[in-house]
Amino acid sequence: MKLALQKLTVGIVLRVVHAALVELYALDSRVRDEFNRMPEGMSYALQTGFNAPQLFVQWKDGKLHNLKHLDKPVCALRLKSTGISFRMFTGQMGLAQAYAQHAFSMQGEIADVMKLARLVNLVEGYLFPKFITKHILTDIPALQVNPLRVYGRVLCGFLTGRYN
Amino acid sequence: MNKYFEFQNVVKLLCGESALERLANELEHLGSKAPMLLSDAVLAKIGTMQQVVDAMEAEGCKPACTYTDIPVDSSLKVVNEIAALYRSSGCDALVAVGGGSVIDTAKGVRLVLSQNADDILAIGGVENLVRGTHIPFVVVPTTSGTGSECTGVAVIRNDENGVKMEFLSPFVQPDAAVIDPRMTLGLPPKATASTGFDAMVHAIEACTCLQANPMSTAYGTTAIKLICENVEEATRNGSNKKARYAMAVASTMAGVSFSNSMVGAVHAIGHALGGVCHVPHAVAMTILLPHVMRFNLERCKDSYAALLPWMIGMDAAMAIPAEKRGEAAIEAVAALSSRLNAICGLPLTLREAGVKQEDFAKVAEFAVNDGALIVNPRAADEAQVIEILNAAY
Ligand SMILES: NC(=O)c1ccc[n+]([C@@H]2O[C@H](COP(=O)([O-])OP(=O)(O)OC[C@H]3O[C@@H](n4cnc5c(N)ncnc54)[C@H](O)[C@@H]3O)[C@@H](O)[C@H]2O)c1
Ligand SMILES: [Fe+2]
Repeated sequence: MKLALQKLTVGIVLRVVHAALVELYALDSRVRDEFNRMPEGMSYALQTGFNAPQLFVQWKDGKLHNLKHLDKPVCALRLKSTGISFRMFTGQMGLAQAYAQHAFSMQGEIADVMKLARLVNLVEGYLFPKFITKHILTDIPALQVNPLRVYGRVLCGFLTGRYN
Repeated sequence: MNKYFEFQNVVKLLCGESALERLANELEHLGSKAPMLLSDAVLAKIGTMQQVVDAMEAEGCKPACTYTDIPVDSSLKVVNEIAALYRSSGCDALVAVGGGSVIDTAKGVRLVLSQNADDILAIGGVENLVRGTHIPFVVVPTTSGTGSECTGVAVIRNDENGVKMEFLSPFVQPDAAVIDPRMTLGLPPKATASTGFDAMVHAIEACTCLQANPMSTAYGTTAIKLICENVEEATRNGSNKKARYAMAVASTMAGVSFSNSMVGAVHAIGHALGGVCHVPHAVAMTILLPHVMRFNLERCKDSYAALLPWMIGMDAAMAIPAEKRGEAAIEAVAALSSRLNAICGLPLTLREAGVKQEDFAKVAEFAVNDGALIVNPRAADEAQVIEILNAAY
């Protein structure tokens, strides 16, 4: 039961993270610059545990697509357990801490993980309040817009099916 | 204490005076009859490699194949080439004689062979590989710096874009390392000083980065003490076997330390300087260390202070007010590099190392994409890396 609940939560947060990245592309210049520097077709896969939710995203035609599956992601990350993923996606552990705790393995180039880490740190900076980010981020990023705007746009995006 | 940490060192260490003579026996025990010997042109020319061959042959072990065209900072292409040669010449083990460049090349070759791959790029990643075929692998370090003989990482330059890539896997660790002070007797003073500083950076970054843990810190602090006590003597008087031995052990310990913790911004920026401007790794480390420590100080006051007794001794450290010990550790490091500069002309600025300021933007871009930055105690963006570079210019 606990495991099922953790998987459900992780699955929802993964969708929110993708949505937040899509919105932050319009709202935050650092996210925009990061994506604009990515090669066309750059892709990430994230496996969050055994039989647990997965995320496949690809940068293509100026948009971050959320795909059902990708055969050969350029960078494939695998978190070592559902419990770890749950802690990561509920603001209990940041990406640097996950690295320090050997929480994931990765196939691909480390430079691509660093790019993703910068994006995830920004997303966390917007989505989580300061009392959480001060524990999980090495440095709290300056916010360029009010986080409520990000939440508002994400909500709107889900309601209008923008991420499907 | 860390919520969670891991520690691994599978390498058998053969340390001291007669270490080299035991290499043949070690290979035999690993099941090898036809080892491939890897080294570089300098070591082949000055006779260091031959010393190893002689010691092996004296005990009935002859290299089946030798490759000495390994470039400084290694190369993905060369790794693939050597793996193909290994297969075609029927070798059954790898022996690497050299500094970090040779050892890391050999680590790359071992990965390719054990994973039954053709191209190292296809198997790159972090902890992503299963054990694969066991390829017996022994290393003989000829510099006292990288500690690569005990680390779970290979740093290899991608010739196409100049990026120094990190391949992280426990399976790059050799079976055994021969730590013999005779191997570094001929290392020139500048190389002795700078590679010694590389080891110092490993230990300091390992003890102060986000991944530091009690085990890695135990190795790191002892390494710092040994380096501070011996690096000047080893630089001044290269034939002092005692100092050479201490430096060899110190760099190995610093390697164990950072392999089980991590490094930080000094390495991230140093790798980028190596990739973009071809600054030798150890030289970049020496120049950058005090500047990066100053950048990190706001987060590292206590962790730097804790290192001070290992650098200057307990009594001297305790004579400094507690709140000043963090800064004092930075000053101790800067003073050591200045003394080494006076002894052997070790470069202390990027300008002296031939770096051009117009390359800073590219260096910063590479540095923020280097994995070593992820656990640095303070995040750094490109603008902050450029500030550090300017301070070090
Ligand atoms: N894998 C790791 O854990 C790790 C750690 C730190 C650095 N590195 C990598 O290691 C490389 C640097 O290695 P390094 O500092 O040992 O230098 P190196 O292997 O690049 O050697 C530098 C020069 O010194 C010469 N040399 C080596 N030993 C000598 C000796 N005994 N006498 C005379 N000349 C000698 C070499 O021939 C070469 O020309 C870099 O690419 C760096 O990124 C790897
Ligand atoms: Fe190093």
